[in-house]
Amino acid sequence: MNDLFEEQVNHLGESHFLVLFWAAKAEDRTVRYNITNCFDDLKYSGITRTKQNAVAVVDSLSLLRFVDIREEGNRKNIYITTYGAKALESLVLSRTFAPKRSAFLEGP
Amino acid sequence: MTIGIGGAGSKLAARLDPNATIVNVSESELNKVEAGKRILAVVHAARGQFRGSRKSPQIGHDAYLSVRRELLALVRGDMVFSATGGGTGNGVTSGLLTDLVALDDLGPHDKTCFALVLPYAKLEPSEYINNTINFLQSALSEAIDSGNTGNIVLFSNSLKFQSRVPEDEYNNMLVDSLRVFLAIPDKNESLKLLDGHIDYEDFTLYTSRPFFNHFTYFDFDPETPFEDQLNANINPLLLPPENPIEALFLYETPVGGDPTPFYDILQHFSNVNVSPVYSVVENPERQTPFVTVSLLYSRKPAELLDDFNHVSEEHTKAKVRKSLEQQVELPKLQVNLETETKRVAKQRGGSEEDILVVLRRLGKL
Repeated sequence: MNDLFEEQVNHLGESHFLVLFWAAKAEDRTVRYNITNCFDDLKYSGITRTKQNAVAVVDSLSLLRFVDIREEGNRKNIYITTYGAKALESLVLSRTFAPKRSAFLEGP
Repeated sequence: MTIGIGGAGSKLAARLDPNATIVNVSESELNKVEAGKRILAVVHAARGQFRGSRKSPQIGHDAYLSVRRELLALVRGDMVFSATGGGTGNGVTSGLLTDLVALDDLGPHDKTCFALVLPYAKLEPSEYINNTINFLQSALSEAIDSGNTGNIVLFSNSLKFQSRVPEDEYNNMLVDSLRVFLAIPDKNESLKLLDGHIDYEDFTLYTSRPFFNHFTYFDFDPETPFEDQLNANINPLLLPPENPIEALFLYETPVGGDPTPFYDILQHFSNVNVSPVYSVVENPERQTPFVTVSLLYSRKPAELLDDFNHVSEEHTKAKVRKSLEQQVELPKLQVNLETETKRVAKQRGGSEEDILVVLRRLGKL
Protein backbone atom coordinates (compact mmCIF):
# COMPACT_ATOMS: atom_id res chain seq x y z
CA MET A 1 0.00 0.00 0.00
CA ASN A 2 2.73 2.41 1.02
CA ASP A 3 4.69 1.49 -2.03
CA LEU A 4 1.73 2.29 -4.22
CA PHE A 5 1.26 5.63 -2.47
CA GLU A 6 4.92 6.53 -2.89
CA GLU A 7 4.79 5.43 -6.52
CA GLN A 8 1.78 7.64 -7.11
CA VAL A 9 3.29 10.64 -5.34
CA ASN A 10 6.63 10.30 -7.05
CA HIS A 11 4.99 10.54 -10.41
CA LEU A 12 3.10 13.75 -9.65
CA GLY A 13 4.26 16.82 -11.53
CA GLU A 14 4.46 20.44 -10.46
CA SER A 15 1.01 21.14 -11.87
CA HIS A 16 -0.47 18.38 -9.67
CA PHE A 17 1.29 19.73 -6.62
CA LEU A 18 0.01 23.25 -7.31
CA VAL A 19 -3.57 22.13 -7.81
CA LEU A 20 -3.47 20.23 -4.51
CA PHE A 21 -1.86 23.19 -2.82
CA TRP A 22 -4.37 25.74 -4.13
CA ALA A 23 -7.32 23.48 -3.48
CA ALA A 24 -6.25 23.07 0.16
CA LYS A 25 -5.78 26.77 0.52
CA ALA A 26 -9.14 27.58 -1.04
CA GLU A 27 -10.87 25.14 1.24
CA ASP A 28 -9.18 26.78 4.23
CA ARG A 29 -10.58 30.12 3.11
CA THR A 30 -13.97 28.55 2.42
CA VAL A 31 -13.70 29.61 -1.20
CA ARG A 32 -14.98 27.23 -3.87
CA TYR A 33 -12.17 26.38 -6.22
CA ASN A 34 -13.31 25.04 -9.58
CA ILE A 35 -11.66 23.74 -12.73
CA THR A 36 -11.88 27.12 -14.45
CA ASN A 37 -10.08 28.83 -11.56
CA CYS A 38 -7.55 26.07 -11.65
CA PHE A 39 -6.94 26.59 -15.38
CA ASP A 40 -6.60 30.37 -14.87
CA ASP A 41 -4.05 29.89 -12.11
CA LEU A 42 -2.03 27.36 -14.08
CA LYS A 43 -2.03 29.68 -17.06
CA TYR A 44 -1.05 32.63 -14.80
CA SER A 45 1.83 30.59 -13.40
CA GLY A 46 3.04 29.84 -16.93
CA ILE A 47 2.59 26.06 -16.57
CA THR A 48 0.04 25.44 -19.27
CA ARG A 49 -1.74 27.39 -21.94
CA THR A 50 -4.56 24.98 -22.69
CA LYS A 51 -7.65 24.06 -20.78
CA GLN A 52 -7.26 20.44 -21.79
CA ASN A 53 -4.02 20.21 -19.84
CA ALA A 54 -5.65 21.75 -16.79
CA VAL A 55 -8.55 19.30 -17.06
CA ALA A 56 -6.14 16.40 -17.50
CA VAL A 57 -4.25 17.39 -14.32
CA VAL A 58 -7.43 17.69 -12.27
CA ASP A 59 -8.84 14.50 -13.81
CA SER A 60 -5.76 12.47 -12.99
CA LEU A 61 -5.74 13.76 -9.40
CA SER A 62 -9.38 12.85 -9.17
CA LEU A 63 -8.77 9.33 -10.52
CA LEU A 64 -5.96 8.87 -8.00
CA ARG A 65 -8.50 9.93 -5.33
CA PHE A 66 -6.27 12.85 -4.31
CA VAL A 67 -9.08 15.29 -4.98
CA ASP A 68 -12.79 15.04 -4.97
CA ILE A 69 -14.67 16.81 -7.76
CA ARG A 70 -18.17 17.82 -6.87
CA GLU A 71 -20.62 19.30 -9.27
CA GLU A 72 -22.12 22.28 -7.43
CA GLY A 73 -24.32 24.86 -9.17
CA ASN A 74 -23.03 23.95 -12.66
CA ARG A 75 -19.44 24.31 -11.40
CA LYS A 76 -16.96 21.49 -10.90
CA ASN A 77 -15.45 22.35 -7.53
CA ILE A 78 -12.25 20.73 -6.36
CA TYR A 79 -11.87 19.47 -2.75
CA ILE A 80 -8.74 17.84 -1.46
CA THR A 81 -9.22 14.37 0.09
CA THR A 82 -7.40 13.03 3.16
CA TYR A 83 -5.43 10.84 0.81
CA GLY A 84 -4.54 13.89 -1.29
CA ALA A 85 -3.56 15.72 1.92
CA LYS A 86 -1.06 12.97 2.66
CA ALA A 87 0.33 13.25 -0.87
CA LEU A 88 0.65 17.04 -0.49
CA GLU A 89 2.34 16.58 2.89
CA SER A 90 4.89 14.25 1.44
CA LEU A 91 5.55 16.60 -1.49
CA VAL A 92 5.97 19.55 0.87
CA LEU A 93 8.30 17.67 3.21
CA SER A 94 10.41 16.39 0.32
CA ARG A 95 10.53 19.97 -1.02
CA THR A 96 10.15 18.66 -4.54
CA PHE A 97 8.24 21.71 -5.76
CA ALA A 98 7.95 25.32 -4.66
CA PRO A 99 4.47 26.74 -4.17
CA LYS A 100 3.29 29.53 -6.46
CA ARG A 101 0.74 32.25 -5.99
CA SER A 102 -2.80 31.60 -6.97
CA ALA A 103 -4.07 34.60 -8.88
CA PHE A 104 -7.61 33.59 -8.03
CA LEU A 105 -7.03 33.36 -4.29
CA GLU A 106 -4.44 36.05 -3.73
CA GLY A 107 -4.94 38.38 -6.63
CA PRO A 108 -2.65 38.86 -9.61
CA MET B 1 -10.84 121.94 7.36
CA THR B 2 -10.26 118.50 8.71
CA ILE B 3 -10.18 115.21 6.86
CA GLY B 4 -10.66 111.80 8.41
CA ILE B 5 -9.57 108.66 6.63
CA GLY B 6 -10.85 105.23 7.61
CA GLY B 7 -12.98 104.32 10.61
CA ALA B 8 -10.78 105.68 13.39
CA GLY B 9 -9.70 108.73 11.39
CA SER B 10 -13.30 109.63 10.55
CA LYS B 11 -14.42 109.51 14.15
CA LEU B 12 -11.58 111.73 15.31
CA ALA B 13 -11.95 114.21 12.47
CA ALA B 14 -15.70 114.50 12.93
CA ARG B 15 -15.24 115.03 16.62
CA LEU B 16 -12.72 117.81 16.15
CA ASP B 17 -14.63 119.48 13.36
CA PRO B 18 -18.32 118.81 12.67
CA ASN B 19 -17.76 119.95 9.07
CA ALA B 20 -14.97 117.50 8.50
CA THR B 21 -14.64 115.52 5.30
CA ILE B 22 -14.46 111.81 5.88
CA VAL B 23 -13.26 109.09 3.56
CA ASN B 24 -14.02 105.41 3.87
CA VAL B 25 -14.14 102.27 1.77
CA SER B 26 -17.15 100.83 3.55
CA GLU B 27 -20.38 102.66 2.83
CA SER B 28 -22.06 101.55 6.03
CA GLU B 29 -19.14 102.74 8.14
CA LEU B 30 -19.16 106.01 6.24
CA ASN B 31 -22.81 106.62 7.05
CA LYS B 32 -22.33 105.95 10.74
CA VAL B 33 -20.32 109.13 11.26
CA GLU B 34 -21.91 112.55 11.13
CA ALA B 35 -19.73 114.73 8.96
CA GLY B 36 -19.77 117.74 6.66
CA LYS B 37 -18.85 115.73 3.62
CA ARG B 38 -18.57 112.02 3.00
CA ILE B 39 -16.41 110.54 0.28
CA LEU B 40 -16.76 106.88 -0.61
CA ALA B 41 -13.52 105.47 -1.94
CA VAL B 42 -14.56 102.97 -4.57
CA VAL B 43 -13.18 99.50 -4.86
CA HIS B 44 -13.94 97.78 -8.12
CA ALA B 45 -15.06 94.49 -6.68
CA ALA B 46 -17.09 91.90 -8.56
CA ARG B 47 -19.49 91.51 -5.67
CA GLY B 48 -20.06 95.18 -4.97
CA GLN B 49 -18.90 97.26 -2.10
CA PHE B 50 -20.56 96.00 1.00
CA ARG B 51 -17.53 95.46 3.10
CA GLY B 52 -14.63 97.64 4.13
CA SER B 53 -11.00 97.03 3.45
CA ARG B 54 -10.80 94.16 5.93
CA LYS B 55 -7.47 95.23 7.43
CA SER B 56 -5.83 94.99 4.02
CA PRO B 57 -3.90 98.15 3.06
CA GLN B 58 -3.86 96.93 -0.54
CA ILE B 59 -7.64 97.33 -0.74
CA GLY B 60 -7.32 100.76 0.86
CA HIS B 61 -4.65 101.72 -1.63
CA ASP B 62 -6.72 100.53 -4.61
CA ALA B 63 -9.65 102.52 -3.30
CA TYR B 64 -7.44 105.57 -2.89
CA LEU B 65 -6.94 105.69 -6.65
CA SER B 66 -10.63 106.44 -7.10
CA VAL B 67 -10.51 109.50 -4.83
CA ARG B 68 -6.95 110.55 -5.49
CA ARG B 69 -7.57 113.80 -7.34
CA GLU B 70 -10.34 114.94 -5.04
CA LEU B 71 -8.38 114.12 -1.92
CA LEU B 72 -5.13 115.71 -3.10
CA ALA B 73 -6.97 118.98 -3.76
CA LEU B 74 -8.68 118.81 -0.38
CA VAL B 75 -5.77 118.06 1.89
CA ARG B 76 -3.70 121.11 1.06
CA GLY B 77 -3.18 123.08 4.24
CA ASP B 78 -5.48 120.81 6.17
CA MET B 79 -5.19 118.25 8.86
CA VAL B 80 -5.62 114.57 8.08
CA PHE B 81 -6.62 112.03 10.71
CA SER B 82 -5.89 108.42 10.12
CA ALA B 83 -5.00 105.20 11.88
CA THR B 84 -2.11 103.13 10.63
CA GLY B 85 -3.36 99.73 11.73
CA GLY B 86 -6.42 99.09 9.57
CA GLY B 87 -6.75 98.78 5.82
CA THR B 88 -8.42 102.02 4.80
CA GLY B 89 -6.50 104.42 7.02
CA ASN B 90 -3.22 102.79 6.19
CA GLY B 91 -3.83 102.21 2.46
CA VAL B 92 -5.38 105.56 1.61
CA THR B 93 -2.97 107.57 3.76
CA SER B 94 0.09 105.85 2.33
CA GLY B 95 -1.22 106.56 -1.19
CA LEU B 96 -1.77 110.16 -0.20
CA LEU B 97 1.70 110.50 1.34
CA THR B 98 3.33 108.99 -1.73
CA ASP B 99 1.56 111.51 -3.95
CA LEU B 100 2.48 114.37 -1.65
CA VAL B 101 6.13 113.34 -1.90
CA ALA B 102 5.99 113.89 -5.65
CA LEU B 103 4.68 117.47 -5.36
CA ASP B 104 7.17 120.30 -5.48
CA ASP B 105 5.18 123.50 -5.24
CA LEU B 106 4.12 123.39 -1.61
CA GLY B 107 4.31 126.57 0.44
CA PRO B 108 3.82 126.63 4.22
CA HIS B 109 0.09 127.15 3.75
CA ASP B 110 -0.24 124.09 1.57
CA LYS B 111 1.41 121.64 3.90
CA THR B 112 -0.80 118.94 5.30
CA CYS B 113 -0.59 118.01 8.94
CA PHE B 114 -1.13 114.39 9.82
CA ALA B 115 -2.52 113.03 13.04
CA LEU B 116 -1.82 109.31 12.99
CA VAL B 117 -3.09 106.83 15.53
CA LEU B 118 -0.63 104.01 16.07
CA PRO B 119 -1.83 100.73 17.54
CA TYR B 120 -0.78 99.46 20.94
CA ALA B 121 1.73 96.85 19.96
CA LYS B 122 1.20 94.55 22.92
CA LEU B 123 -2.54 94.00 22.72
CA GLU B 124 -3.79 94.84 19.26
CA PRO B 125 -3.95 92.25 16.46
CA SER B 126 -0.74 91.39 14.71
CA GLU B 127 -2.19 92.54 11.35
CA TYR B 128 -2.40 96.05 12.78
CA ILE B 129 1.18 95.86 13.93
CA ASN B 130 2.44 94.53 10.61
CA ASN B 131 0.46 97.14 8.68
CA THR B 132 1.93 99.84 10.88
CA ILE B 133 5.45 98.56 10.38
CA ASN B 134 4.99 98.64 6.61
CA PHE B 135 3.47 102.09 6.78
CA LEU B 136 6.28 103.52 8.88
CA GLN B 137 8.92 101.91 6.73
CA SER B 138 7.62 102.95 3.36
CA ALA B 139 5.10 105.78 3.02
CA LEU B 140 5.84 107.73 6.17
CA SER B 141 9.58 107.35 5.81
CA GLU B 142 9.49 108.72 2.26
CA ALA B 143 7.20 111.55 3.27
CA ILE B 144 9.51 112.62 6.07
CA ASP B 145 12.52 112.54 3.78
CA SER B 146 10.73 114.65 1.18
CA GLY B 147 9.74 117.32 3.71
CA ASN B 148 6.41 117.81 1.96
CA THR B 149 4.21 117.27 4.97
CA GLY B 150 3.44 119.50 7.90
CA ASN B 151 3.64 118.36 11.49
CA ILE B 152 2.95 114.73 12.11
CA VAL B 153 1.28 113.98 15.40
CA LEU B 154 1.77 110.41 16.46
CA PHE B 155 -1.02 109.39 18.78
CA SER B 156 -0.57 106.08 20.51
CA ASN B 157 -3.28 103.72 21.61
CA SER B 158 -1.20 102.52 24.54
CA LEU B 159 -2.95 104.61 27.21
CA LYS B 160 -6.31 103.40 25.97
CA PHE B 161 -5.36 99.78 26.53
CA GLN B 162 -3.31 100.30 29.67
CA SER B 163 -5.99 102.34 31.45
CA ARG B 164 -8.92 100.51 29.81
CA VAL B 165 -10.58 103.64 28.48
CA PRO B 166 -13.69 103.23 26.30
CA GLU B 167 -12.99 104.12 22.69
CA ASP B 168 -15.44 106.99 22.62
CA GLU B 169 -13.92 108.54 25.70
CA TYR B 170 -10.41 107.97 24.39
CA ASN B 171 -11.27 109.70 21.12
CA ASN B 172 -12.55 112.61 23.19
CA MET B 173 -9.30 112.69 25.10
CA LEU B 174 -7.27 112.76 21.87
CA VAL B 175 -9.37 115.50 20.35
CA ASP B 176 -9.48 117.57 23.53
CA SER B 177 -5.75 117.29 23.82
CA LEU B 178 -5.29 118.39 20.22
CA ARG B 179 -7.69 121.26 20.77
CA VAL B 180 -5.51 122.65 23.54
CA PHE B 181 -2.61 122.78 21.11
CA LEU B 182 -4.67 124.19 18.22
CA ALA B 183 -6.12 126.87 20.49
CA ILE B 184 -2.72 128.55 20.91
CA PRO B 185 -3.18 131.20 18.16
CA ASP B 186 -6.77 131.84 19.27
CA LYS B 187 -5.64 132.50 22.83
CA ASN B 188 -2.84 134.69 21.54
CA GLU B 189 -5.42 136.67 19.59
CA SER B 190 -8.18 136.93 22.18
CA LEU B 191 -6.27 137.26 25.43
CA LYS B 192 -4.15 140.11 26.69
CA LEU B 193 -0.64 139.70 25.34
CA LEU B 194 2.18 140.20 27.82
CA ASP B 195 5.24 139.04 25.93
CA GLY B 196 6.18 137.49 22.60
CA HIS B 197 3.44 136.47 20.22
CA ILE B 198 2.22 133.56 18.17
CA ASP B 199 -0.24 134.75 15.57
CA TYR B 200 -1.97 132.58 13.01
CA GLU B 201 0.86 133.06 10.53
CA ASP B 202 3.46 131.97 13.06
CA PHE B 203 1.38 129.01 14.05
CA THR B 204 0.83 127.94 10.44
CA LEU B 205 4.53 128.27 9.77
CA TYR B 206 5.25 126.16 12.83
CA THR B 207 2.78 123.45 11.91
CA SER B 208 4.08 123.34 8.35
CA ARG B 209 7.45 122.00 9.51
CA PRO B 210 7.92 118.39 8.44
CA PHE B 211 8.68 116.99 11.88
CA PHE B 212 6.93 114.97 14.51
CA ASN B 213 5.03 117.14 16.92
CA HIS B 214 4.76 116.31 20.59
CA PHE B 215 2.63 118.74 22.53
CA THR B 216 1.77 118.77 26.18
CA TYR B 217 0.27 121.14 28.70
CA PHE B 218 0.32 121.46 32.45
CA ASP B 219 -0.03 123.80 35.38
CA PHE B 220 3.27 125.53 35.75
CA ASP B 221 5.01 125.66 39.10
CA PRO B 222 7.57 128.52 39.08
CA GLU B 223 9.46 126.90 41.97
CA THR B 224 10.31 123.67 40.08
CA PRO B 225 12.76 123.62 37.17
CA PHE B 226 10.93 123.58 33.86
CA GLU B 227 12.81 120.55 32.59
CA ASP B 228 11.59 118.42 35.49
CA GLN B 229 8.04 119.58 34.97
CA LEU B 230 8.22 118.87 31.27
CA ASN B 231 9.59 115.37 31.83
CA ALA B 232 6.92 114.68 34.40
CA ASN B 233 4.16 115.89 32.10
CA ILE B 234 4.91 114.15 28.82
CA ASN B 235 1.62 113.82 26.96
CA PRO B 236 0.57 110.19 27.55
CA LEU B 237 -1.59 110.20 24.43
CA LEU B 238 1.40 110.72 22.15
CA LEU B 239 4.59 108.86 21.51
CA PRO B 240 7.34 110.20 23.79
CA PRO B 241 9.48 112.92 22.13
CA GLU B 242 13.15 112.94 21.27
CA ASN B 243 15.44 115.94 21.59
CA PRO B 244 13.56 118.89 20.12
CA ILE B 245 14.62 120.70 16.97
CA GLU B 246 12.11 123.46 17.32
CA ALA B 247 9.69 124.39 20.07
CA LEU B 248 6.70 126.56 20.76
CA PHE B 249 5.05 127.44 24.01
CA LEU B 250 2.22 129.50 25.33
CA TYR B 251 2.49 130.71 28.89
CA GLU B 252 -0.79 131.69 30.49
CA THR B 253 -0.67 133.58 33.71
CA PRO B 254 -3.61 134.50 35.96
CA VAL B 255 -4.69 138.12 36.13
CA GLY B 256 -2.03 140.06 37.95
CA GLY B 257 0.32 137.06 37.97
CA ASP B 258 4.03 137.27 37.38
CA PRO B 259 4.79 136.60 33.71
CA THR B 260 8.57 136.36 34.17
CA PRO B 261 8.85 132.61 34.91
CA PHE B 262 8.63 132.11 31.18
CA TYR B 263 12.31 133.13 31.08
CA ASP B 264 13.03 129.83 32.83
CA ILE B 265 11.40 128.07 29.93
CA LEU B 266 13.42 130.06 27.43
CA GLN B 267 16.54 129.24 29.42
CA HIS B 268 15.73 125.57 29.31
CA PHE B 269 15.33 125.58 25.54
CA SER B 270 18.46 127.67 25.12
CA ASN B 271 20.34 124.96 27.02
CA VAL B 272 19.29 122.45 24.39
CA ASN B 273 20.09 124.89 21.57
CA VAL B 274 16.52 125.58 20.59
CA SER B 275 15.04 129.05 20.27
CA PRO B 276 11.33 128.60 20.69
CA VAL B 277 8.43 130.61 19.36
CA TYR B 278 6.50 131.78 22.39
CA SER B 279 3.70 133.88 23.65
CA VAL B 280 2.81 135.01 27.16
CA VAL B 281 -0.80 135.93 27.79
CA GLU B 282 -2.97 136.82 30.72
CA ASN B 283 -5.89 134.46 31.08
CA PRO B 284 -8.57 135.61 33.56
CA GLU B 285 -9.91 132.04 33.81
CA ARG B 286 -6.66 130.68 35.20
CA GLN B 287 -5.89 130.46 38.91
CA THR B 288 -2.35 129.20 38.40
CA PRO B 289 0.12 129.64 35.56
CA PHE B 290 -0.52 127.21 32.72
CA VAL B 291 1.86 126.29 29.96
CA THR B 292 1.24 124.61 26.61
CA VAL B 293 4.44 123.33 25.02
CA SER B 294 5.02 121.79 21.65
CA LEU B 295 8.25 120.11 20.65
CA LEU B 296 9.16 119.33 17.07
CA TYR B 297 11.48 116.41 16.85
CA SER B 298 12.82 114.27 14.13
CA ARG B 299 13.09 110.59 14.49
CA LYS B 300 14.03 108.13 11.88
CA PRO B 301 11.06 105.91 11.24
CA ALA B 302 13.45 103.01 11.65
CA GLU B 303 13.88 103.91 15.31
CA LEU B 304 10.19 104.41 15.64
CA LEU B 305 9.80 100.92 14.35
CA ASP B 306 11.73 99.31 17.13
CA ASP B 307 8.79 98.85 19.49
CA PHE B 308 6.62 97.48 16.75
CA ASN B 309 9.29 95.23 15.35
CA HIS B 310 9.98 93.93 18.79
CA VAL B 311 6.35 93.03 19.34
CA SER B 312 5.98 91.66 15.84
CA GLU B 313 8.93 89.39 16.46
CA GLU B 314 7.39 88.23 19.71
CA HIS B 315 4.17 87.45 17.84
CA THR B 316 6.05 85.40 15.29
CA LYS B 317 7.97 83.56 17.99
CA ALA B 318 4.75 82.77 19.82
CA LYS B 319 3.22 81.44 16.62
CA VAL B 320 6.23 79.24 15.95
CA ARG B 321 6.14 78.00 19.54
CA LYS B 322 2.46 77.17 19.21
CA SER B 323 2.91 75.31 15.96
CA LEU B 324 5.75 73.35 17.52
CA GLU B 325 3.52 72.41 20.42
CA GLN B 326 0.85 71.25 18.03
CA GLN B 327 3.21 69.04 16.10
CA VAL B 328 2.69 65.40 17.02
CA GLU B 329 5.81 63.36 17.42
CA LEU B 330 5.43 60.13 15.51
CA PRO B 331 6.81 56.93 17.02
CA LYS B 332 9.87 55.64 15.24
CA LEU B 333 9.11 52.33 13.54
CA GLN B 334 12.11 50.14 13.08
CA VAL B 335 10.97 47.54 10.62
CA ASN B 336 13.06 44.60 9.68
CA LEU B 337 11.83 43.87 6.17
CA GLU B 338 12.79 40.20 6.28
CA THR B 339 10.88 39.36 9.43
CA GLU B 340 8.01 41.57 8.34
CA THR B 341 7.77 39.72 5.01
CA LYS B 342 7.77 36.39 6.80
CA ARG B 343 5.07 37.63 9.15
CA VAL B 344 2.85 38.78 6.30
CA ALA B 345 3.49 35.60 4.32
CA LYS B 346 2.55 33.55 7.37
CA GLN B 347 -0.63 35.58 7.76
CA ARG B 348 -1.50 34.84 4.16
CA GLY B 349 -0.51 31.20 4.55
CA GLY B 350 1.99 31.50 1.74
CA SER B 351 4.78 29.23 2.88
CA GLU B 352 4.95 25.51 2.23
CA GLU B 353 4.97 24.38 5.84
CA ASP B 354 1.89 26.41 6.53
CA ILE B 355 -0.13 24.36 4.12
CA LEU B 356 0.39 21.38 6.45
CA VAL B 357 -1.05 23.40 9.31
CA VAL B 358 -3.95 24.27 7.05
CA LEU B 359 -4.50 20.62 6.16
CA ARG B 360 -4.45 19.65 9.83
CA ARG B 361 -6.89 22.38 10.61
CA LEU B 362 -9.16 21.07 7.90
CA GLY B 363 -8.91 17.62 9.44
CA LYS B 364 -7.44 16.13 6.30
CA LEU B 365 -4.20 15.01 7.95
